[in-house]
Amino acid sequence: MARGWVCWAELSFVYVRSGFWKGRLWDEVLRGTSISGAARVDCNRRFAAMLEELLIFTRGGLILWSSCRALGAAALKGSPIDALIRSCLLEERSADASFSQDNYALKWTFHNDLGLVFVAVYQKILHLLYVDDLLAAVRKDFSQIYDPKRTNYDDFTDIFRQLHLEAQARAEDMKSKQAISSRTLPAVSHKTAPKARGAAARATSKGKDDSDGDSEHHALANGTFTGHQSAAPNDSSLVKGKENGVPKDNGAFNVTKLQRLRKNDRKNTGADNATKKLTKPDTKKKGKQDRVWDDKPSNKKLDFTDPADERGDEVTEHVALNQGESMMDKDDNLSSDSEEEEVEDGPKKKGWFSSMFQSIAGNNVLEKSDLQPALKALKDRLMTKNVAEEIAEKLCESVAASLEGKKLGSFTRISSTVQTAMEEALLRILTPRRSIDILRDVHAAKERGRPYVIVFVGVNGVGKSTNLAKVAYWLLQHNLTVTLAACDTFRSGAVEQLRTHARRLQIPIFEKGYEKDPAVVAREAIQEASRNKSDVVLVDTAGRMQDNEPLMRALSKLINLNSPDLVLFVGEALVGNDAVDQLTKFNQKLADLSAVPTARLIDGILLTKFDTIDDKVGAALSMVYISGAPVMFVGCGQSYTDLKKLNVKSIVKTLLK
Amino acid sequence: MDEWIRQAELWGRQAEAWIRQQPPEQIYVAAAVVALTVLVLIAASCLKSSKPNTIVLSGLSSSGKTTLFYQLRDGSSHQGTVTSMEENNDTFVLHSEKERKGKVKPVHIIDVPGHPRLKPKLDEVLPKAAGVVLVVDAQDFLSSMQAAAEYLYDILTKASVVKKRVPVLIFCNKTDKVTAHSKEFIKKQLEKEINKLRESRKAISSADISDEVQLGVPGEAFNFNQCQNKVTVAEGAGLTGNVSAVEQFIRDYVEA
Repeated sequence: MARGWVCWAELSFVYVRSGFWKGRLWDEVLRGTSISGAARVDCNRRFAAMLEELLIFTRGGLILWSSCRALGAAALKGSPIDALIRSCLLEERSADASFSQDNYALKWTFHNDLGLVFVAVYQKILHLLYVDDLLAAVRKDFSQIYDPKRTNYDDFTDIFRQLHLEAQARAEDMKSKQAISSRTLPAVSHKTAPKARGAAARATSKGKDDSDGDSEHHALANGTFTGHQSAAPNDSSLVKGKENGVPKDNGAFNVTKLQRLRKNDRKNTGADNATKKLTKPDTKKKGKQDRVWDDKPSNKKLDFTDPADERGDEVTEHVALNQGESMMDKDDNLSSDSEEEEVEDGPKKKGWFSSMFQSIAGNNVLEKSDLQPALKALKDRLMTKNVAEEIAEKLCESVAASLEGKKLGSFTRISSTVQTAMEEALLRILTPRRSIDILRDVHAAKERGRPYVIVFVGVNGVGKSTNLAKVAYWLLQHNLTVTLAACDTFRSGAVEQLRTHARRLQIPIFEKGYEKDPAVVAREAIQEASRNKSDVVLVDTAGRMQDNEPLMRALSKLINLNSPDLVLFVGEALVGNDAVDQLTKFNQKLADLSAVPTARLIDGILLTKFDTIDDKVGAALSMVYISGAPVMFVGCGQSYTDLKKLNVKSIVKTLLK
Repeated sequence: MDEWIRQAELWGRQAEAWIRQQPPEQIYVAAAVVALTVLVLIAASCLKSSKPNTIVLSGLSSSGKTTLFYQLRDGSSHQGTVTSMEENNDTFVLHSEKERKGKVKPVHIIDVPGHPRLKPKLDEVLPKAAGVVLVVDAQDFLSSMQAAAEYLYDILTKASVVKKRVPVLIFCNKTDKVTAHSKEFIKKQLEKEINKLRESRKAISSADISDEVQLGVPGEAFNFNQCQNKVTVAEGAGLTGNVSAVEQFIRDYVEA
């Protein structure tokens, strides 16, 4: 090991000196090692460069073990793990497959009962096949040594090294298998995966084929099941009898001879058995041999039928009997083998009594299949509340991910546990991530001597202009001066509508008629407002469908040219599945069609027509989940005063009613 | 249904007859025992709730709450921390008091996650707090000033905090760094920010964010002395173990 490290250091020194760039350097090192005698390059090193970090921490945020620290690799650039937690795990997206940040890709897994999180970080360009496998293995092994009182897990480093080697070997194995034949692959990988740790390393070292892996598997199963010992010798004696008897006298197949041989053999195996009982590995081997012999009954059958034709019926009968017997034995063995397997790695079937006892004792570990019915019911309920199906599905998956493996408390039902988890998740989603205090921001802008600009965007007919007027009224109540900018230069009557509002509220309006570029109109309006010392500029835009590219381009231009303080998406609460499409497309188009690299996206949501939906408040959830932006206002009527704040708690209550 | 009612009536009559058969002294004794148990339980719960020993560590994300928590508990921040997803909740004897002779009462400390999405957690734990520590990142103060002020404002306007006069300690963390701001500066800036927030939180219509309690004296610039509960400012560094200010605060408000 130490030599490997030294070699590594030397190599890297040489290549760094000669000015190779990093990726090239790796290629050279990996290829060069086999040639240059430094064949013992430490795999950990290679691994450390490919997999940047594997981190184990509690949900409370304490790092328990980190591969960087333990293996002495360089720390990560930036903080991808914090980014993962903030923008993925806490946003109810933990059911996603992976997350990428800067150049890193991250994968994670939870141990919900112990409250542990395992995160693997690797370079995005590398497609590491073994990461999932490794995470599962690390989770399994770490949860065994985890103790809530303990904070130092240096001894895990060695286990991790081993696990990583195995995972890597498995991945390589799989890759080569894939190249050879895709058919046998799933069977082998399934069989090797749950096996004890040493097995994989062993398997790779000898380059096993399918049948080898198979027999080894049976041998293992045999070894653990001691009840076989009585059946195995009998079986083997028969096989041996056949083996000895058949080739010796081809034609003359004597029943008595066979019986004698059998007796003889039984004696032998009986004696063998006595010695075998002392050493377990031997019996293992025996079991393995049995199966190899028994696996070829067809060959022997051919051997037997030929003499029978010459000799007579009696013999055939006996032979058939023998053959049948051995088959029975074999069947027996196989079935008990498979039972043994089920007990070993399948979920155990429990009686009703034990399951009832567990539910009372509160020791029931939640599994995905247990959660499914409750989640299905919850998803349906969310969908009747007008939550977009996609969102309901994702939420349920995320809740399932957070509950799987947890212990059910005593005297609690699964459905109530799921309900509580969902309630927490909903509360978390709807709680705004950023401050929704617009007035404070307006005051801050006022101090800096420039107007605060709000742009209202949305699809046609959702009530942009009406709610813009309501917001204007609300701002006027707080003694702020407001200017309206009529940038809907597309729909006929839009400017007149806004002019009417302006007259009623007695506020100035900036308009340039129709067929003008809205971006330019908005800019001139802002300039005008800063001349007039106006505090807030409300920019009305034309309604547009999210798929209308020319109009979306115009909107993107307007936003990027004027860089408003707030981009408010106006959406109606009546919308169902389309909410997802609208918001994703708006955000995507704003990002794609902008000329500047850091595009402005939607900052907040104004939910309109809230008075028309009764308890179908799902649109609020769909929109917030998709965009991550908070609901700033809720429009709930026709008069200027009908503007409210979203009451998160009541929404959550309504959603789960 | 009728059958059941008849059955129940029958049982009721039987029970009544059985009670009449018993000597009256026995019934009195039983009633007295039940009453006494209830009284004792009530008294016990009263005694328990009268002295809360919970200290809440609050503050924005990445201000150093979890580090402070482990510093108080174990005297070390171990291998570092990442963003918390759940609160850290433990009852322990402070690490600095482990060597002290005599019986030291353990403290219950809750480290609430700072991520804005998890803000509802703070509202849950505030009612049972004996003291609140607001951890502020003194090094990166200017960029997080507004958010920190809003966080503090939310705590100070909580009815449960004001009514019980829960003391608040503003702990300026990371002062071991050279670029960290002084606690006087931080205090002044926070007061200024809260003053602004007070302006914007004047609830006129239902579109406004409403507060449970009016903060400070109207018409006067806000400062922390106007609060009904005691607000103090201290500095230290969780990472280097300089947390004596917090320990002092805990001992002031939770009996040893």
